[in-house]
Amino acid sequence: MSLGEAGLVNQKYALLPAFLQAKGLIRQHVSSFNHFIGSDLLKIIRAKGNERVTCDADPNFYLKYTNIYVGRPSLEEDYIQTELTPNQCRLRDQTYSAPITVDVEYTRGKEVVIRKGKNNSGAILIGRMPIMLRSDRCVLTGKSEEELARVGECPLDPGGYFVVKGTEKVILIQEQLSKNRIIIDTDSHGGIVASVTSSTHERKSKTNIVTKHGRLLLKHNAFTEDVNIVAVMRAMGVESDEEVLQLVGTEGPFATLLTPTLQHCREEGVFTRQQALDYLASKVKGGSRPPGAGPGGGGFQRRTRSRVDEAREILANVVLCHVPVVAFDYQQKVTYIAVMVRRMLYAMLDPSFIDDRDYYGNKRLELAGGLLALLFEDLFKRMNADLKRQADSSLSKANRATQFDIAKCIRTDTITFGLEHAISSGNWTIKRFRMERKGVTQVLSRLSFISAVGMMTRITSQFEKTRKVSGPRALQPSQWGMLCPADTPEGESCGLVKNLALMTHVTTDEEEGPIARLAHILGVEPATLVNQGELRERGSALVFLNGNILGVHRRPKAFVRAFREMRRRGKVGEFVSVYMQHDTVQIASDGGRVCRPLIICDKGVPRVKDEHLKLLKEGKWTFNSFLTAGLLEYLDVNEENNSLVALYESNCNPRTTHLEIEPFTILGVVAGLIPYPHHNQSPRNTYQCAMGKQAMGNVAFNQLNRMDTLLYLLCYPQRPLLTTKTIELVGFDRLGAGQNATVAVMSYSGYDIEDAIVMNRASLDRGFGRCIVLRKYGTSLKKYANRTQDRIVLPAAAAAAGNAARPGKFRILDRDGIAAAGEVLSQGEVLVNKQMPTNTRDPVTAPNALPDTFYRNAPVSWKGYSGGEKCVVDKVLLTSNDDCSCVVKVLVRHTRRPELGDKFSSRHGQKGVVGSIWSQSDMPFTERGLVPDLIMNPHGFPSRMTVGKMIELLGSKAAVCTGKFHYGTAFGEPAGLADTVDHISQELVEAGFSYSGKDFLHSGITGEALEAYIFMGPVYYQKLKHMVLDKMHARARGPRVVLTRQPTEGRSRDGGLRLGEMERDCLIGYGASMLLLERLMISSDAFEVQVCMQCGLMGYRRHDGTALCGTCKSGANMAGLRLPYAMKLLTQELQSMNIVPRLILDSQ
Amino acid sequence: MQGTGGYGAGGVPSGPVQVAYICGDCGAENTLKPGDVIRCRECGYRILYKKRTKRVVQYEAR
Repeated sequence: MSLGEAGLVNQKYALLPAFLQAKGLIRQHVSSFNHFIGSDLLKIIRAKGNERVTCDADPNFYLKYTNIYVGRPSLEEDYIQTELTPNQCRLRDQTYSAPITVDVEYTRGKEVVIRKGKNNSGAILIGRMPIMLRSDRCVLTGKSEEELARVGECPLDPGGYFVVKGTEKVILIQEQLSKNRIIIDTDSHGGIVASVTSSTHERKSKTNIVTKHGRLLLKHNAFTEDVNIVAVMRAMGVESDEEVLQLVGTEGPFATLLTPTLQHCREEGVFTRQQALDYLASKVKGGSRPPGAGPGGGGFQRRTRSRVDEAREILANVVLCHVPVVAFDYQQKVTYIAVMVRRMLYAMLDPSFIDDRDYYGNKRLELAGGLLALLFEDLFKRMNADLKRQADSSLSKANRATQFDIAKCIRTDTITFGLEHAISSGNWTIKRFRMERKGVTQVLSRLSFISAVGMMTRITSQFEKTRKVSGPRALQPSQWGMLCPADTPEGESCGLVKNLALMTHVTTDEEEGPIARLAHILGVEPATLVNQGELRERGSALVFLNGNILGVHRRPKAFVRAFREMRRRGKVGEFVSVYMQHDTVQIASDGGRVCRPLIICDKGVPRVKDEHLKLLKEGKWTFNSFLTAGLLEYLDVNEENNSLVALYESNCNPRTTHLEIEPFTILGVVAGLIPYPHHNQSPRNTYQCAMGKQAMGNVAFNQLNRMDTLLYLLCYPQRPLLTTKTIELVGFDRLGAGQNATVAVMSYSGYDIEDAIVMNRASLDRGFGRCIVLRKYGTSLKKYANRTQDRIVLPAAAAAAGNAARPGKFRILDRDGIAAAGEVLSQGEVLVNKQMPTNTRDPVTAPNALPDTFYRNAPVSWKGYSGGEKCVVDKVLLTSNDDCSCVVKVLVRHTRRPELGDKFSSRHGQKGVVGSIWSQSDMPFTERGLVPDLIMNPHGFPSRMTVGKMIELLGSKAAVCTGKFHYGTAFGEPAGLADTVDHISQELVEAGFSYSGKDFLHSGITGEALEAYIFMGPVYYQKLKHMVLDKMHARARGPRVVLTRQPTEGRSRDGGLRLGEMERDCLIGYGASMLLLERLMISSDAFEVQVCMQCGLMGYRRHDGTALCGTCKSGANMAGLRLPYAMKLLTQELQSMNIVPRLILDSQ
Repeated sequence: MQGTGGYGAGGVPSGPVQVAYICGDCGAENTLKPGDVIRCRECGYRILYKKRTKRVVQYEAR
């Protein structure tokens, strides 16, 4: 090993484990949720519209929220407060949630009541908040491995998901275009458009400036048609053309480009501010109340306003609503519009100024915290509206028996159920933004450990999948280091679903105030204090903070440098970014930007030195010490554009500003499992990313205590001989999903063509590929309105038979009517003999002593596998859930050994099915007596070019020989994180093997030496979840659908195999009419009808055997006919719609 | 009343010989009566597991 470059390169890798240790694998979810709980919640209840609940009936009444707390996850059952643990919630189908409490101040009668809670909790419960696992509020945070084991949790589980009603739910990361930023784009006619999606707490709106016939027009929902932009500026108080020009910029041909717009304004007769407002007023939509009233303060604002007032209001509050307008001072907004216009004019002159929508700096990722904040605010508003309604109705009554106490009216259900329902269904409905999103959450996939971790890094975008554009799907250069280039699904969502890279962090919102203050201290002059001419002075630049104009700086480069220095010193947040874009300085502190840490370089010399790494190694420093010492910093996509990043220290030159920490961090968690991915053809890595999530193995350390609906486990999982650094960092070496199989790359028999695998039976006997499938069967006992309830009993007949021999399907039931653990199941046996009352509505006299006849059976029974497979009852759990009804869960275990047709795959996108299983005596063998576990066809290599797999084989072979795990980390050779082929070959030779990994083999069948040397060695093989036993299906006779009398569809209903349209076409083309008739009618839904030859309608056969036409009332002209039942059904359905199909018969 | 045992919605085992359950937390043995809430009598834990069958079972090892 240790072949890397000398110096820093060898050690800077050490920063990565430190980073992951400090931040965790899924830091983005957890930090977003922590931010939500820690500061967003308080902001929401203190927001203008939410803080107070008032009442129309009593002007003195108010309810004011002063503080909000989220406690620890706990539950009150039978008046006992108990701490909740996530695993308990999973088993009991509960929600892992914590109480949300508030401090309030309100009026009761004439007195003001102030209620404050004690020891970090509020006075009044307003609901329950689902808690993200491993967040600050979670009970698991800060626990050691031992403590985690005690609460039944896996130490390697990344957390970041929620447990809602017993199911693990992930709120996927959503990608969207950034808010409050100007995007210059082209429309369908090729015209330049500047668009801004403004988003504030109260409102969302989209503002466009479009070009039409050379004129610049403002396009906005509030106006019926596009309005002249100069007129808009006039309405905002910029009356002279010169002023407009000065704002936009006087240089170059700007004046000429603006002429048509100015002219149009003149034609419209808009010269003064008043005229402009009249002009805009004539185009205001609707004319009734603008949507400006706000959600909280409705009601009173009904007084009629003039349309001019309305137009003014719209300009102030709706158009570009994120730019503040205080007391109708439009200065800032006018400047903003001028900047938009200026950028459009630039783009007209030079198309390179048009923004790229797919550029990742223009994207923001929405995480769990942000989405929950939106939802919570909506629910909180709903709860307040509810309280207001109650206050209105109570206080408007003149005489009241008791004094109205609003604190007693607070209902916790709105928030509790609202949050719970949204997370469990994935439907995010937020009324005030007219947002309705489906599929925001998904059930955490527990197929394997990697699939669970991989799910936490997944990003979905809001694009429709049907759109045929390639832009959003393509890998963008700006995604380098932020998103995994390999991990994306194939097919319709290819490129739309992405995954985060290993070191990516997603920012959370940061306070703007201190940043603005610092910027002003560093010399930013407020735009309002500068005259328009100075705005565009040479060398000076506008400074933006989160898309809003902050001011002007005369020496922007120095400013940016100084600001960065402040960040490195920790005076501003580490995730605040500053960068120059065109001729502006942009400061971003908003949430949802992707960023990653890099080593800072001074004139090409990295700041991280050997001594620092030594401190890290000794445990005296953590990752954060590097940040606070100003050696590392986070760069977001935009700031990366202002820097020159070197990959290795040797690439540094005096202009280099940053040094990469480790090149393999551009890959994500799932792609990190692939050894030598940089030697593979790129799509193969993508295929492996999809397959790695289907591999069976260990799910978590607590896998045998879990009660999932379906769980696939490998009996004897191994850790790969050829590992990568990512594998170690993620913990895959402790929760493997595969086995090291000795593979011979050769053709042996014909059962290995088309990627099939020949397997060694002895290996299977030893446990290769052996797996356990655990399936849960559960019921809950319900209580009904008439005080009756479900029950579980052992049937009397079975009970009478005693313990030894119970009749038929009740064989395995215990005295309690539930199967006992350890019993072997056979087909159709009952697991839980549940019975339901026949009448659940009418009142019954004695609900506890009802006769057996009152109940009907509703058993949970086991369907069984075909082929007499034996399953065992693994575990039986009894508990009660939130609504106090009894829950019974039965876990059924099935151990499977690989069989013909089971799917296996290596880690290089090379999947194959078992084509044949041979006894060991028939397998080829080496002189040492080595026999392969499986044989793979060499034709799998040339077209797929998975060189990585070959190196893996070599490396694993060397690993076996030397007894040391070998490494194949991506791009790892220069840094010594991957063994080179040269090095491996040398080790092989030392161990007495050929340098090339080829062995001398004898045929197992004839004993003759094989003509060629065979490339043979261990390769890590994964068993995939697709198994023949779950899929095989055949039927000769079977059930039919009642309506059409045709065979049922699907394996689960024992359905028929369809002869489809294309198959039908073939038979028609071939002329095999009798075969067609047989397939489509005789074997399907043949039916005998009696047709009246006179009227052509269908009659019927009477009980004496004669046929009769119901329409003609005669049996004279009847004929028997065989036709598909579906045909008969169709004619009758048509008849019911007053269409009469008649069958005209011809004698043959 | 048929049968020798059973549960209603609260968890209601009944009959002459009761089935024993093991607490998921402390491991104590519990028997449940009709109308009982499913809960360990020793520690109050609400998850109980059934004991392994007393019958002789034979598994096939392949």
